[in-house]
Amino acid sequence: MIKLRGLRLGFETGFALAVDELYVREGEVFAIIGPNGAGKTTLLNAMAMLTPPAAGTLEIMGQDALRPANRLLLRRAMSVVFSQPYLTTDTVFNNVALPLALRGRKDRGAVERALELFKISHLKDRDARTLSQGESHRAALARAFVTEPKLLLLDEPFGSLDERVKDAITRDLRQVVKSSGAAVVLVTQDQAGALTLCDTLAVIVNGRILQQGEPQAIFSRPAAKEVADFVGVETILPGKVLSRTDNLCAVEAGGKTLMAVSDCAAGDSVFFCLRPEDVSVSMNADAGGRRNNFKSRIISVAPWGLEYKVELDCGFTLQAAVTKQLVDGLGLKPGGEVYASFKAVAAHLIKRIL
Amino acid sequence: MDFIISGFQKGAALVFSGDAEVFAIARLSLAVSLGATAAAVLVGVPLGSAIAVKKFPLKKLLIALANTGMGLPPVVAGLVVMLFLSRNGPLGFLNWLYTPAGMVIAQTIIALPIITALSISAMQSVDPKFYRQILALGASDAQAIRVCLKELRLTVLAAVIAGFGRLVAEVGAVMIVGGNIRHQTRMLTTATVMETQMGNFDTAIALGLILLSLSFAVNLALTLIQQRRVAR
Repeated sequence: MIKLRGLRLGFETGFALAVDELYVREGEVFAIIGPNGAGKTTLLNAMAMLTPPAAGTLEIMGQDALRPANRLLLRRAMSVVFSQPYLTTDTVFNNVALPLALRGRKDRGAVERALELFKISHLKDRDARTLSQGESHRAALARAFVTEPKLLLLDEPFGSLDERVKDAITRDLRQVVKSSGAAVVLVTQDQAGALTLCDTLAVIVNGRILQQGEPQAIFSRPAAKEVADFVGVETILPGKVLSRTDNLCAVEAGGKTLMAVSDCAAGDSVFFCLRPEDVSVSMNADAGGRRNNFKSRIISVAPWGLEYKVELDCGFTLQAAVTKQLVDGLGLKPGGEVYASFKAVAAHLIKRIL
Repeated sequence: MDFIISGFQKGAALVFSGDAEVFAIARLSLAVSLGATAAAVLVGVPLGSAIAVKKFPLKKLLIALANTGMGLPPVVAGLVVMLFLSRNGPLGFLNWLYTPAGMVIAQTIIALPIITALSISAMQSVDPKFYRQILALGASDAQAIRVCLKELRLTVLAAVIAGFGRLVAEVGAVMIVGGNIRHQTRMLTTATVMETQMGNFDTAIALGLILLSLSFAVNLALTLIQQRRVAR
C-alpha cells in the first residue's frame, strides 16, 4: 500500500528526518510511536503528500506519489485525520459530506452510513461549531470514512480527549477499521492506544525509525536503548556478558551478576533491560525458580497508574511494579527490606556499540 | 447659515420630486461603482487567495505592491487610464474614453488592489493546518481556496464593502476618464463638484444626500448578507 525508501527531509531548525525503509501492507494497521518532536507528524505529512521530501521515493497504491500529477488522484483514494478535527462552519452533515462534494459526488446514503458508524446520526443538523470535543473528533472520523478510503492516515487522532472518550472512540474506530479492510497508518504518543489497534509498530526517535515489527516483540525485545526507554523499560543497566551456556547469559551489570536469556556472546557489551512488571517483590528469600534474586532495600514507593512503582536498591537501582494489595499486605515502605526476583527470560539484552 | 438650511430644504425637495435627470445620474453612479466592484472582486479575490496560498519568488514584493495600491490616488489611476484610452493611446481603438465603460475600467483599477490586498491578508489568516486538512480531504488547490473563502465570508464581504465604499465616493478618476458629460457620464460625485462650483448649493446638497442614501442602502444590503449567518 505504501512503499517508502530513502526518505530525507530537513528543516531550517536543524531537525532532519531520515527513513530508510517503510512498508505498509494492504489492510494492516501500522502504528508509529515516539516521543514529542521525534518526527512522527513530519513522516505522516510526507506520506500524505503534504510535505515534499528532499530525497527518496514514495509509492502509494503502486503509483509514484512524488509526481505532482498523481497527487490529487492519490489524495482522493485516501483520507487523513489530524489531531484537531478542523471542521468547517457548517452543519455536521455537510462537514461529513465535504469529501464527497470535493470529488463531485453526492451520496446522502454514504453520509448517513458514516454518521452511523461513529454514532453521531443524531447530530447531523447541528452547527459543527457547537459540538463537544469528542463529538468533533467523531465527526472528523466520519468525514474521513465517508469516501470508503483504501488508506487512512491518522495523526494523533484523539489528541486532547479524556481517557473515557478516547477509549470509546478507539473501540469504534477499531471496529470500523477491521470491517473496512483499509490500511491504516496511525501516529501516536499513546502506546496503549497503538497496541490495541496495530498489527505493526514502528518506533521513531530523533527522526529515525529505530525498530519496526510486531508490537509485542518491540515491547519485550527493544532493539535500541532509546526504544527501550520509550516503551517503558525502566531498568536499563550497561554491562558485559561474562559467559553463555546454551542461550543463558551471565551478565555483569550494576556490580552484580545477572542472568538473561539472549543470543549475545561472551565479551559483548550490552544494556541489561527489564520491565517493571516483570519484577516480583516478596518477603522471603525463596525466588520460586527465578534465576535472579536479590535482597534489596526500598528507596521509594509511589502510585503508578492503578499500581504502585517501587524503587529498589539491590546494588543497582531496580524498578518494580506491584499491586496495591501487595503494597498494603507486605507493608512496603521506604527503608524496608525485601527480595526482588525476576526470570532470566524476562530480561533482555541490547548489544551496545562502543 | 440660512443658505445652508434652505439648501437642505430644497435638496430634500429635489430628492422627493423624482427629477428624471437626477435619478439617471444616481443610476449611472450605482451601475459604474457596482460594476467596478464586481469586476475587482472577480479578479482580486482569486488573485489575492492564490498569492496567499502559493509559494513563489518575489511574493513579498507583490504583497507590498498590493498594499501600496490600496492608497492609489484616484486621479493618478484616472490619468493613466485616460492616457491609455485616448485616441493615440494603446487602447484608443476601443473608443472608451468619456464612456461609462472607461469609468468602470478606471474604478476597477482603484478597487483591485484593495480587494486583492484584503483577500491576501484574509487568506493568510487561515490556519495552515486547516488548509492542509482540506487538501488532505481530496481538494484541489482551487477547491481548497473556495472552502476557505466560504469560511472567510465575513472578511471577504468586509473587503467588498471597503472596495465599494471607496468607489462610490470617488470623484477624481471618473472626472478625468468620464469627463462629467451630461446625460452620458455625469456621476453623483462629479455632478456635486460641478454644482458646488456653480454655486447651486441646493442641487449639490440634494446630490450629496442621494449619494449618502445609495451608499447606505448598498452597505446595508451587504452587511445583512454578511451578518446573516453570525448568530451570536
